[in-house]
Amino acid sequence: MEETFVSKTFPLKPKLKPTSKTSSKTPESRYWSSFKTHETPNLISSVPSITFSGVAPHPFAAAYSASLSLFSPQTLERTHTINSFRDVVSSASFRCDGSLIAASDLSGLIQVFDVKTRTPLRKLRSHTRPVRFVKYPFLDKLHLLSGGDDGIVKYWDVAGENVILDLKGHKDYVRCGDCSPVSSDSFVTGSYDHAVKLWDVRVGDGNRAVMELNHGNPIEDVLFLPSGGLVASAGGNSVKVWDLIGGGKLLYSMESHNKTVTSICIGRIGKEIGDEWMQYRILSVGLDGYMKVFDYANLKVTHSMRYPAPLLSVAFSPDSKVRVIGTSNGIIYAGKRKVKEGAEESSAVGGFLGLGSFSEQPKSRALRPSFYRYFHRGQSVKPSKGDFLVMQAKKVKLAEHDKFLKKFRHREALVSALGKNNPENVVAVVEELVARRKLLKCISNLDLEELGQLLMFLHKYCTVPRHSALLMGLVKKVIDMRAEDIRNSDKLKGLIRNVKSTVQEEILIQQGLQEIQGIISPLLKMAGRR
Amino acid sequence: MIRGGRSYVSTSPAFSNDAKRLLVCTGSTVSIFSTLTGLQVASLDGHTALVTSVIVVPASSPGSRILCYCWTSSLDGTICYWDFSVPEMIKKIDVHLPIFSMVIPTLLKTPADSERSSDLYAYISAQNINKSERPKPLIGQLRKFNLTKSFIGGITLKETQRPEIITVCPSGRFFGILSKNKLIIWKVPDKESDQAILKKIVLHHTKKFSVLAFHPSQRLVAAGDVTGRILIWRGFGNKTFGKPMKYDEDNPGVRGDDDAESCSTWHWHPTDINVISFSSDGAYLYSGGTEGVLVVWQLDTGKKKFLPRIGSPLLYFVDSPDPTLASISCADNQILLLKMPYLGIMKSISGIKLPFYAPEAFKVMCAGYAFDRAGVVALRTEDFHIQIYSLLNDREISEVVVCERNHQPADEITVVVTLVTLSQDGSVMSTVEVRLPEEDIGGLTCLKFWTSTSQNNQFELSTVIYEPHRDSHVSSVAFRPNRPMAVTTSESCDFKLWVCNDGTHRKNELKPSSGWVCYAVGSYKRRPLTAAAFSGDGSVLAVAADTAITLWDPDRNELVGVLGNTLGPIKALSFIGQSEYIVAASGGPKSQLSVWNMSQFTISWSYMLQVEAVASDQNSSTFAVLALLPKSVIQSKETTFVGRDGIILLFDVKQPQPVASWSVTKAEGGGLAFVEANQLEDDISPGTRKHGLLAFINGQHEYVLFDPFNDQELVEHSVLVRKSPAAEETVYAGYASLYGELPEFDWKKNQKAASEVVIMPSERPWETIFSGSSHTLPPLTKLCGAFLEALLQKRPAAVEKS
Repeated sequence: MEETFVSKTFPLKPKLKPTSKTSSKTPESRYWSSFKTHETPNLISSVPSITFSGVAPHPFAAAYSASLSLFSPQTLERTHTINSFRDVVSSASFRCDGSLIAASDLSGLIQVFDVKTRTPLRKLRSHTRPVRFVKYPFLDKLHLLSGGDDGIVKYWDVAGENVILDLKGHKDYVRCGDCSPVSSDSFVTGSYDHAVKLWDVRVGDGNRAVMELNHGNPIEDVLFLPSGGLVASAGGNSVKVWDLIGGGKLLYSMESHNKTVTSICIGRIGKEIGDEWMQYRILSVGLDGYMKVFDYANLKVTHSMRYPAPLLSVAFSPDSKVRVIGTSNGIIYAGKRKVKEGAEESSAVGGFLGLGSFSEQPKSRALRPSFYRYFHRGQSVKPSKGDFLVMQAKKVKLAEHDKFLKKFRHREALVSALGKNNPENVVAVVEELVARRKLLKCISNLDLEELGQLLMFLHKYCTVPRHSALLMGLVKKVIDMRAEDIRNSDKLKGLIRNVKSTVQEEILIQQGLQEIQGIISPLLKMAGRR
Repeated sequence: MIRGGRSYVSTSPAFSNDAKRLLVCTGSTVSIFSTLTGLQVASLDGHTALVTSVIVVPASSPGSRILCYCWTSSLDGTICYWDFSVPEMIKKIDVHLPIFSMVIPTLLKTPADSERSSDLYAYISAQNINKSERPKPLIGQLRKFNLTKSFIGGITLKETQRPEIITVCPSGRFFGILSKNKLIIWKVPDKESDQAILKKIVLHHTKKFSVLAFHPSQRLVAAGDVTGRILIWRGFGNKTFGKPMKYDEDNPGVRGDDDAESCSTWHWHPTDINVISFSSDGAYLYSGGTEGVLVVWQLDTGKKKFLPRIGSPLLYFVDSPDPTLASISCADNQILLLKMPYLGIMKSISGIKLPFYAPEAFKVMCAGYAFDRAGVVALRTEDFHIQIYSLLNDREISEVVVCERNHQPADEITVVVTLVTLSQDGSVMSTVEVRLPEEDIGGLTCLKFWTSTSQNNQFELSTVIYEPHRDSHVSSVAFRPNRPMAVTTSESCDFKLWVCNDGTHRKNELKPSSGWVCYAVGSYKRRPLTAAAFSGDGSVLAVAADTAITLWDPDRNELVGVLGNTLGPIKALSFIGQSEYIVAASGGPKSQLSVWNMSQFTISWSYMLQVEAVASDQNSSTFAVLALLPKSVIQSKETTFVGRDGIILLFDVKQPQPVASWSVTKAEGGGLAFVEANQLEDDISPGTRKHGLLAFINGQHEYVLFDPFNDQELVEHSVLVRKSPAAEETVYAGYASLYGELPEFDWKKNQKAASEVVIMPSERPWETIFSGSSHTLPPLTKLCGAFLEALLQKRPAAVEKS
């Protein structure tokens, strides 16, 4: 039999927004935006270096001002801070076992700390100018690599606090370097003389590099890609990928940043299961505030994110759960990805079963009416294909302003919408009031505090193009009708002043746009004639 | 010829005694609906004018519930007596006066109340036609009428300025009428006769009354007034009608010398009250009004319960003999069947939506109806819906919610759906809704495209376009035949072509990205564009630019040609079938109908006519025009046009003389369209049909479909009731639903049956021979022989038959 019809209540709906066709997210960009950002503000100055420990749970260290802080990867909060520096810390690096950390500062001193006790174990003094990078070679616990403004790359014996090799190939400040992930003897350095040099400590001549690559811009960061055969270098607005095995051939130059690229690191798309998902990406950050994800296998930028400040450093945890970005104004954006517990467990169980031991399945206990879960049984059961679904009528969700509108309490509805932080809803309420011919009455009934709220809203949104036609009219009406109240209250006067300044700003923008239109329209006309 | 679109809510309906049928007055007929399916099952035809009341003869005993007799009265001055189960007319009584209301109190009295007099008397409210000398003629008359002997009783009870509606007490002891701010109640005499004197009392109030109801058992009357107050008098008429029980002078709330014990006032309704009704047990009072809320008052305590958001003013509330069923008639031509104790809406019987009266600001923007070729019309309703109505079946197909807003029937109208257009195949619909600004802020025009998902005409929203022509209104929308393209024109001097980028199924995406996007924009000499039309094959687009007709190539958006000027701004454009002509209707003081030749760019012929609607047949060179008659003709009292205000003219494009013409009533706001009549094949002679049917819908949304080439006259009487395909189904309740209907238990009969179970000679004994329960069957040996014998005998006959 036909379903009986029920009289309906329609909740207020804001106007639809146009959706662009391309905005549907790819799985990859969904992955990259799944890192929920956590802000660590109020560090004293810029954050030039962030580094992750190689052992689980992968804590990370961030250098800022004259201190080095260790962060927990779970809470993304500072756990400890090392302050025994005399100058600004420029770079830090964990040893491969994660128990030691080396840090360099601008006085030219390199110190090695115990991560647990945070005591300086060794002080390496040899650089005469500020040191810009320090790095532990891959799987090598004894040596250290550093470079600085004196243009010399030094290879240290940490235990003895002495320099094994001075590599004097660069003609300008050495800014960065990285050690090969496949060999503990070779490494690359980048310098402001536009050159990336590949060194090998086994080569006797200390001043001649094994290979030299010309980036074309002062180099800010250089990186070995995980295969060990490719190197990425960042400098100017571009990130370039080089093939070392192919004799230093330039593979690709990624130039989608608008300002200098300051730092790059390796990111990994890591779903726990599935081969195609274990892919590496280059994460690059620049002074333009963008973080870009570059797929160097397909030579494509796959994701791009904007931050509200110039970015200086980026790091990605080896277990691909945490992504940390440091800015020039002392904020660290640490992003953590939620990992489904179920996925972890299932993979663990899979491994367990994979061992071949036949474990007994955990028996699910039969539900009895004395159990709490008994009363919730079957609620999450998915219907199978042949099942006949008896649909329950969906309950209409009414917001607070809807309830007020239903009771014809118009002023309360407007105030309640203003109180919530959703401009679309406020506009929808205003439109509904217009349709009910009650808006003007409503405005005249607002008390001073509510009027202030309304003016604050108008100050913020009256020039938004989507709503300006309605809201500018509303501003005029509010000023007309409540002129007396506004004159008597200093607070409201201030708000009106704010509204005025936004309107003036908007007028300037519109004038600028009209000028541009004036320039473009003849061109378009000419193009149309052809 | 098909007529339809009549109002279901002109008067209050009536339930049959078993509450399975609802008798609804629809124009000059009474339609009988099944309350279970909500579909029409029969109709009573016989009156020639509006039926004003229908009274079902109540069942005096539970056994007589199946009796289906009713009385009807009509404006044609007759009262009819029907057996509506057959249905057929039993008796017709001519009163010679237009009857506006009729009650028969005697029917309601239980036999125990008073021994029935031999004659049946009705009280009628009629219009006195031959009295008009006085300055304030009292044309309404309240009279008594002897139904048995069919003559008017001697006395006139009351003369009023207008014929009033009579309300009768459910127990048949009193009846009353409202007269401005007075309530006049008569007591029905215990012994009815032609000359019996009726006593009356008058109750006063300061406001104008709007409705009145009597309590079923107590001496209690409730009345609603135009300000929304409900007044309840208890113990009215104690002095006048007898029962002088207590004589304390303290009558709280009673005005002046009115004869009542007490009077109390309830006030909840913000607007005037249209509905007041007591429940059959007398414990509750139902009230409703313009704001569309049914309020249930507990009579003793005054506590309220609500059924809100009915969405339309309530007009009548009718209780049925079945205590679980009641009906509400709403002003939007809808009858809701309520499941009673908890006020659930069970079923709705909706007729064609009635026209609504939009404020002046909308008048210029609104445009009538959208027809598709299969005989479906889309109508705009007041509560922002589009009703899709089938003209051929006279039934609503579906309703589309255009604007998701809560409609308050009593409020000023500020949001209106102004335009609706259907594409030719009926698969795409476009609507334009307008919100009027409040002192120049917040106005909005919104264009919406809807696509029909399947054959069942359920439209789904496809695209929403806010302010399609900036802040100016859309003056017309037209769809291109055979292609998903539409054009909108506006007063702000531009037209836009919209295309649907449907069919581009992207891979990897589950749902196709379909939506309407602007394809091209055009304008002509900065003139306001008022109308647009596509040619039959879709190759030419004609846009009316004020007084000129511009022709465009819609694919390349190029101006092809301009046809010269008409006398006024063009309101409507239409290509004429396959011919090279285009017809334009222009408004203004010099309104004109002009036919243009597109190949020669000249005017072919024209008339000075005020055209309301134009329709052209797709397959021929004929077109029809609905024109309003000029004032001079209407006032000249010419015999052909008496009471008519419009004319339908059928032209062939080659010659200016009309092929045929019909005069019609209520032409203003009417619509006209050619409809293909494939569905009607069964009841139309099998002759080859070239032309479609012409559909005319008048300003009151009553419509008629006729073949313009055969029925040369609009004959009033032939009314075609289409049998609804779904037959009435019986639904059992309680015990019967589990075990089925119990057989009538009759001991004697059973005894007889048992003894009579012998082999009955019948046409096909093998079918019935084993029927019946096994213990009543004769021994098998006996049966078997008969069975085989039957087979042997009858088989050859059966073979022959086949």
